[in-house]
Amino acid sequence: MTVLKAELTRLAKGMLADPVPGAPPVDLTVAPSQVEDAAAILRFASTVGLRVLFWGGGTHQGIGNAVAPDVVMTTHGLDRIVDWQAEDLTIVVEAGVTVSALEAQLQQRGQTAVLPETPAGATVGGVAAAGLSGWRRLRYGPTRDRVLEVVLATGDGRAVTGGGRLVKNVTGYDLPRLATGSLGSLGLIARLCLKLWPLAAHQGMVHVSDPEAALRTAYRPLAVIETNEGSIVYLAGTLAELEAQAERLGGRLASGHRWPEPLAGPWEFVLRVPAGATGRFVDEIRRNGWAFQAAHGVGEVRLVVDSGDDERLAGLREEAETLGGTLVVFNSPARGVLDPWGAAPGSADLQRRVKAAFDPVGIANPGILPGGI
Amino acid sequence: MALVDDLRSTLGSDRVHSHPLELLVYDKDAGVTRGEAVAVVLPETTQEVAACVRIAASHGVPVVARGAGTGLAGGSVPAEPALLVVLTRLNEIWEIDEYARTAWVGAGVLNLDLSRATEHLGLHYAPDPSSQAACTVGGNVGTNAGGPHCLAEGTTVAHILGVEFVTSDGDVVMLGSKAPDPPGLDLRGVVVGSEGTLGIVTKVLVKLTENPPAVRTLLLTFDSIQAAAATVSGVIAAGIVPAALEMMDQPMVVAVEGFIGAGLPVEAAAVLLAELVGLEEGVVAEASVVERIANEAGATSVRVAADDAERAVLWKARKNAFGAVAQAAPDYYLHDTVVPRTKLAEVMTEIYEIGRRNNIQMLNVFHAGDGNLHPLVAYDAREPGMSEKVRAAAEEMVRVSVAAGGSLTGEHGVGLEKRELMGLVFEPIDLDAQARLREAFDPHGRMNPGKVLPTGARCFDFDLAGKKEVSP
Repeated sequence: MTVLKAELTRLAKGMLADPVPGAPPVDLTVAPSQVEDAAAILRFASTVGLRVLFWGGGTHQGIGNAVAPDVVMTTHGLDRIVDWQAEDLTIVVEAGVTVSALEAQLQQRGQTAVLPETPAGATVGGVAAAGLSGWRRLRYGPTRDRVLEVVLATGDGRAVTGGGRLVKNVTGYDLPRLATGSLGSLGLIARLCLKLWPLAAHQGMVHVSDPEAALRTAYRPLAVIETNEGSIVYLAGTLAELEAQAERLGGRLASGHRWPEPLAGPWEFVLRVPAGATGRFVDEIRRNGWAFQAAHGVGEVRLVVDSGDDERLAGLREEAETLGGTLVVFNSPARGVLDPWGAAPGSADLQRRVKAAFDPVGIANPGILPGGI
Repeated sequence: MALVDDLRSTLGSDRVHSHPLELLVYDKDAGVTRGEAVAVVLPETTQEVAACVRIAASHGVPVVARGAGTGLAGGSVPAEPALLVVLTRLNEIWEIDEYARTAWVGAGVLNLDLSRATEHLGLHYAPDPSSQAACTVGGNVGTNAGGPHCLAEGTTVAHILGVEFVTSDGDVVMLGSKAPDPPGLDLRGVVVGSEGTLGIVTKVLVKLTENPPAVRTLLLTFDSIQAAAATVSGVIAAGIVPAALEMMDQPMVVAVEGFIGAGLPVEAAAVLLAELVGLEEGVVAEASVVERIANEAGATSVRVAADDAERAVLWKARKNAFGAVAQAAPDYYLHDTVVPRTKLAEVMTEIYEIGRRNNIQMLNVFHAGDGNLHPLVAYDAREPGMSEKVRAAAEEMVRVSVAAGGSLTGEHGVGLEKRELMGLVFEPIDLDAQARLREAFDPHGRMNPGKVLPTGARCFDFDLAGKKEVSP
């Protein structure tokens, strides 16, 4: 390891970092500050067969099959906002910029990247790699639809750009969408261009008793969220619009947005089902007494449970899979009780070949995807 | 011919065409490139499509998928003699889920038919290319088609949740799902817009969009292109993303008026068609901001469509623009570049200059709101040297768009037409990565070869194969 370590140290140009709290024990932690440096390290790792685990804010490392890495590559050296074209509603950022720092900046000019609303320490690159969307997905679509350009340091060490810094563009294959949600399986997402949205003049909330009915009554709300405490319709627009929406919903308009605090528990899951089936699954989750937050109209339910081997979870997963959905493990104190993903997708062979096109040796977050891809 | 015999034994003889006169119908799309099909098949099921792919593979003949042939970049025109798989007969709407707001449709379903079929539920399919009465959903998936209303809603890919997909080996897989974010790599996202080069989409799971309760359509008139372009940039910068924001220049307005008679102002240098949708309260507020910005930029008139009928006439004028051009000249060449919205005015000035310098007749109608330019050159291809001149000017226009931070295509696709220009926007290493991705889907080069990527895209040899495999 000393020879390798010396070589890596040279490649990382003195960017060896301290071990990241929470990361698995590794021989080396590297924090490149340039895309080309990240690529050089990955190329070396591919040449000698070192497995690399990518690390952003560490908030979603519980997703996917466990990776047993030799090296951890963090993005905290890639923390610059590169180019904000406010008048074109686009921004280029490096992967290590935190979601909260980015959104705070954007807010100063009345814009948003529509990233998760309660991100803790999550980074933009991490959110993109995990394919996570915020609650406002109901109105603005998934994060994936707003990743316009991506710079990827591939598993075999190439710095590749895909897409473009344009809100509309169909030139070439869609690497930005492929990279979003790829969980580091292709390499490191080092830089991204995101499409922005203007923030509306006013934000408001209306408590409702029937979220499914509210979804059909309100015109394109930002979110309709049901939790153990009740249901809230989240709105944005002019004050007149908000008042009209509240009147239609038959509720009182509260000013501003208060998003649900992230659920905390030993076992965290995300249930994903066809949007129309959300209510039915929520009923079942309620009967089981689990804490949950459901995004109506999206088909996503976040839940926490006390035990990971609860048979009822397996039942829930089976039911979701029957409808083409999934129950994904987001966090667990121990591995192996319930498979992190559930049934492998029918396109597993194709997925394996696509990964190999970027990471032929298999060193980039190896095995993290369903089917051990 | 053995290929045709094998196809006939699978599909029957009436759905396999090989006579030169029958093939002639399929040698081009709505653009300007031509190609050669060795046979044309009209499968009616996914299994038949898969069988055709396998048969073609066994004969070493490449496969090109085709919808209604309304494409403009040559995506469905064979670059080399190929089996043409025409998907128009996969035209069944399988399921409409009112609650999930989704529909499963065959690749051959017409775009507009889908919106008509969901109208009674207060839903529509958002991507609306000008050809929507003729183009297929499968073709839209192939090109990642756009349309005026993609400004706020995004192009086709944002409305495709899943596809049934025939691989280059003739296997059938489902990519994407009705539930959000299916686990694993988003191959659905890669397949949309891949122009049939990765495999063939036979069935599509689309997202449906709620019809807005209120709509305001404004016709804004300007005495210069720059004033209209400044209005577009001003509206976006003011934090308003209209449902549509379309521009037409004077030559196009004159052509459209002669064709449709929509009462457009033929004396104006440019008109903008702005559409705002949403709740009545919001639409009123946004319309007044758009009007103010237009007036500040020097609008000479502002007309608000009084009712649905007037609105329909304005949109009819916009969507028939390309038909109207037939009056100006027998042939036309339509561009599709895209530029940052802050660069509209300067790029348009350069494009007019290119037109003037080359002495070509140019008309403009385009999706100004998302910077998607469509300069259209009307010409007569029988005139000696004219086609070459038009193409040379086209390349110049692409170059000025790219130089302003833009790209080759916003919605028509790369196809045959722009593949050799890919090097203007991508480095060799980027094109190589795209070539590798394509090889992962189609290692034998069977699917629509010669499209999207330029010759020699696979140029890097970072071959790490044979190195130590790491077991997960």
